[in-house]
Amino acid sequence: MVNIVKRMRKLRELLWIRVGPGALLLPKEVSKITLEFNKHINGGHRGARKFWREMLPRIKYRNPSVPISVMRHSNDSGPAKLCIYTKSASAPNPSQSSISTPPSATPNPRNTATPDTTAPAFTIDMKMIPESQILEELIEKTGATIIEPSEQELQEMKDIADFKVRSEGDRVQVREHLMKQRREEELLRLARGEITATA
Amino acid sequence: MATSRPIFAPLSRLAASSIAVARYTTPQSALLPLQSIRCAATKSSGKKKKKGRNTFIQYDLRKADQFSLVDAMHYIRAFEVGRNPHSSKYEVHVRLRSLKNGPVVRNRLRLPHPVKTDVRICVICPPDSKHATEARAAGATLVGEDEIFNQVKEGIVEFDRCICHPDSLQNLNKAGLGRILGPKGLMPSTKMGTVVPNVGAAVRNMVGGSEYREKLGVIRMAIGQLAFTPEEMQTNVKAFMETLKKDIAQMSDRITKEIHEVVLSSTNSPGFTLNGEFRGPDSISPKELSGPM
Repeated sequence: MVNIVKRMRKLRELLWIRVGPGALLLPKEVSKITLEFNKHINGGHRGARKFWREMLPRIKYRNPSVPISVMRHSNDSGPAKLCIYTKSASAPNPSQSSISTPPSATPNPRNTATPDTTAPAFTIDMKMIPESQILEELIEKTGATIIEPSEQELQEMKDIADFKVRSEGDRVQVREHLMKQRREEELLRLARGEITATA
Repeated sequence: MATSRPIFAPLSRLAASSIAVARYTTPQSALLPLQSIRCAATKSSGKKKKKGRNTFIQYDLRKADQFSLVDAMHYIRAFEVGRNPHSSKYEVHVRLRSLKNGPVVRNRLRLPHPVKTDVRICVICPPDSKHATEARAAGATLVGEDEIFNQVKEGIVEFDRCICHPDSLQNLNKAGLGRILGPKGLMPSTKMGTVVPNVGAAVRNMVGGSEYREKLGVIRMAIGQLAFTPEEMQTNVKAFMETLKKDIAQMSDRITKEIHEVVLSSTNSPGFTLNGEFRGPDSISPKELSGPM
């Protein structure tokens, strides 16, 4: 099992998924978000991929009930699209809203038989634009409300950043020490004649 | 050589005083240059045999962040966003307090909601016997004798597990399939527990059955598909922990084992230590986590 200290440090840094760009509340109408882009960054798919890696977890954390799916193709000139589906666009589905317990997410004939073929309400072309711009467009089109980090969270974020700077300094120091030790050992071996000097 | 000496002059002076007595003890080392003897002497004197420990290092969990099941799933689902829900799985890791060299926990169980259901099972038994109907009812994909032998001889092996009934064992051995099935690890044998009289039960255990064993004091097992609802996960985790506790209780005459920590993680997420509760005071409603990813 991974060392407890390492694990706890990871968990303390979970803050990144709660606050930051992408921490927003989508309006209730949004029913689904799908993304489609290339597997590689060639052809202007970099921003889309970054958006998925960095901001989509935050959106999913704040809106856990909105299904988000990512489709990736292997065609450089293929589309890079972000589609937002809304409930008003599709026909109201009474069976889904009235049941007290929602249908199980486990794939079964009951919930996989009917593919959703409604057209998306908004489409954002993500080609050749950076991830921050994708987010801006998403906020603009859906009218999502951004969650501002609280004072305490800002303080925590600062602490983590300070800690990272300090650890980087420590790392350099330890490395210097280690290299010095290794150099001395090497010279000792050289002096003993175990290896011949090549330099 | 000559160039490196002056650099080492101060260093060697420091080391010399303490070990100077032992310098010329062995005739072989007397032939070597001075510095190497010093270094050899320091090395051999500093080497001590470490006494091993036969328990794993334990840590205090009181300071650790712990999560309720719903909270952990909330985070994990955010980490797994955009991943293929069929390839990512929930895993559970159970840390035990046990000896390093003691017996290990190892068993198999059938989760209430199986993680993997697409195992194809082949049962070798007379096709018109009552065992054959039992096996078919339990979910075997291939049941028969001669037809399977012929298929396998032609190189068609369309199953992942193979079970044999003792009555058909002779026919199986006569057919000489060992050369084809053996390397794939599919050849039924009594030693592997794949030659069983009660075919139906064996098949039922294999479909959706999962195995676990303790390695270095930790048991790891896939516990659910990414799309499971919190309630489904709860029943799965509960079922697993109960079987595990039973296993430990069975071993209690030989060795004491205790469950130290239970961690829930997934393919692409960090591990969340569970605190044993279903939902905390400010966790979201489990309903929000039940939809598709």
